Amino acid sequence: MVITVNGSVHPIDVEPRVTLADFLRDRLRLTGTHLGCEHGVCGACTVLLDGEAVRSCLIFAIQAAGCAVTTVEGMAPKGRPSRLQVAFETHRAFQCGFCTPGFLATAEALLRSGEPLSRETLPRLLAGNICRCTGYQPIIEAILEVAGGEC
Amino acid sequence: MKSAPFEYHRPVSIEETVDLLAEHGDDGKLLAGGQSLIPLMAMRLAQPAVIVDLAGVAALRRREGPVVGAMVTNAQLERDSAGLPPIVAAALPHVGHFQIRNRGTIGGSLAHLDPAAEWPALALLLGLRFRIRSRDRGEREMGAGEFMIGPLTTDLRADEVLTEVTFPVWPVGAGWGFAEVARRPGDFALAGAACTVVGGRTRVVTFATGGMPQVVEDWDGIEAGGDLHASAAYRRSVTRRLVKQVLADAGGSW
Repeated sequence: MVITVNGSVHPIDVEPRVTLADFLRDRLRLTGTHLGCEHGVCGACTVLLDGEAVRSCLIFAIQAAGCAVTTVEGMAPKGRPSRLQVAFETHRAFQCGFCTPGFLATAEALLRSGEPLSRETLPRLLAGNICRCTGYQPIIEAILEVAGGEC
Repeated sequence: MKSAPFEYHRPVSIEETVDLLAEHGDDGKLLAGGQSLIPLMAMRLAQPAVIVDLAGVAALRRREGPVVGAMVTNAQLERDSAGLPPIVAAALPHVGHFQIRNRGTIGGSLAHLDPAAEWPALALLLGLRFRIRSRDRGEREMGAGEFMIGPLTTDLRADEVLTEVTFPVWPVGAGWGFAEVARRPGDFALAGAACTVVGGRTRVVTFATGGMPQVVEDWDGIEAGGDLHASAAYRRSVTRRLVKQVLADAGGSW
C-alpha cells in the first residue's frame, strides 16, 4: 500500500489508526501541515487529496492508499514559492502562520474549482479555516489577486 | 486526540461487507466518509475494534435518478442534484464546510444521525426510503420514521449496512423553503427549519432545536431546548423566525 505525497511515492507503513496528518508530520516529517483542533473544525490541517481540499486529521492514512496528496511543501517545489504564496506575502496574509498551510490548500482548491471568487463569496468559502491573528481581509485580498478578480 | 487501535478491512463489494459485519458482530463499525466517526474515535468516545471501510465498495456509489447510494458524497450531490427535490441543493451548502463535504457521505450522515445535522431533517421532511442489507436476513426497506429512532440511534443492527436511499418524486410547482442559523457557515446549526408544500399540503420540520428533527403543525408545537451554545428561549425565538421564513419561501400556511 502506497501513497503519493508531493510527487514522491511512499509506503503506508503505519498502524491503521494513524491519521493522514500524523503520517505526513511524524512519518514523512512534512511538518508544514499543522494540527490545531484535531476534530475537523479549525482547518489548519487542510491538504489536497487527489486535488480536493480535505481535513487530513479526519482521514486515516490507510484510507488514502493509492491517492495523491499535496501539502504546503509541494506548493513550493525547489523552494520557489507559488503565485498564491507570493500573494500571501505581498498582502501580509499571515502573521503567526499557524493557519497558513490550511488556508493555502483551501485557496488552491478554490482557485482550481472555477467557483466565482469575490469579496462577497470568499468569506463563506473560507469559513472552514480559522485564523486567530491576521484577520481574513488580507487573506481574501491575496486570493483575489491570484484569481485575477477585483483587487 | 489519537484513536485507539483497530483492525482495518476494506471490502470491495456489498457481499464482502455484510460477511465482515456478520463475522465481527458488535466489534465491527462501518467507516463511510469518516467526518463524524473519526473525531469520535480521536476523542475515544468511539473505540471500535474493527473498522470496515466502505470506500472500495463501488456499488454504494450508485446514482440513478432519485436513488442515491450511501457512499455518494455531499460534494457530488452539491455538484449534481438532478432528479432530487430542489430543497436538497439549497440545504447542501449548510452540510459542514466544503472540505468536509468532499469526504462526508449521505449514508454516513444518516447512519450517524446527529440530530443537529441537515440530512436527518431532510429525510423526515421528504420521507426518504432506506434500503438496508445484511448477510443473514437479506434486504429490508423502511421509511425515515422507522429508520431514525433517536439522537445517534437508528434501526440499523450491527450486521447491517445502509446501501441506498430513495427520494420522492418532486411534483412540478411544489414549494419549499430551507433556513438555518449557525455561528459560522458550515458549523452545526443552532436552529433550523425546512418546509415543503406538495399538493397544497404544508409540511414543516424543525431541527437542531435540542432533540430530534420534529414535524411541527402549529406555532405552539415549536419546541426548543437550551445548552452550552444557546438558551432555550433564544432557540425558540430563532426557530419561530426560521419557520416563518420557510413557510413564506415555500408558499405554505398553517
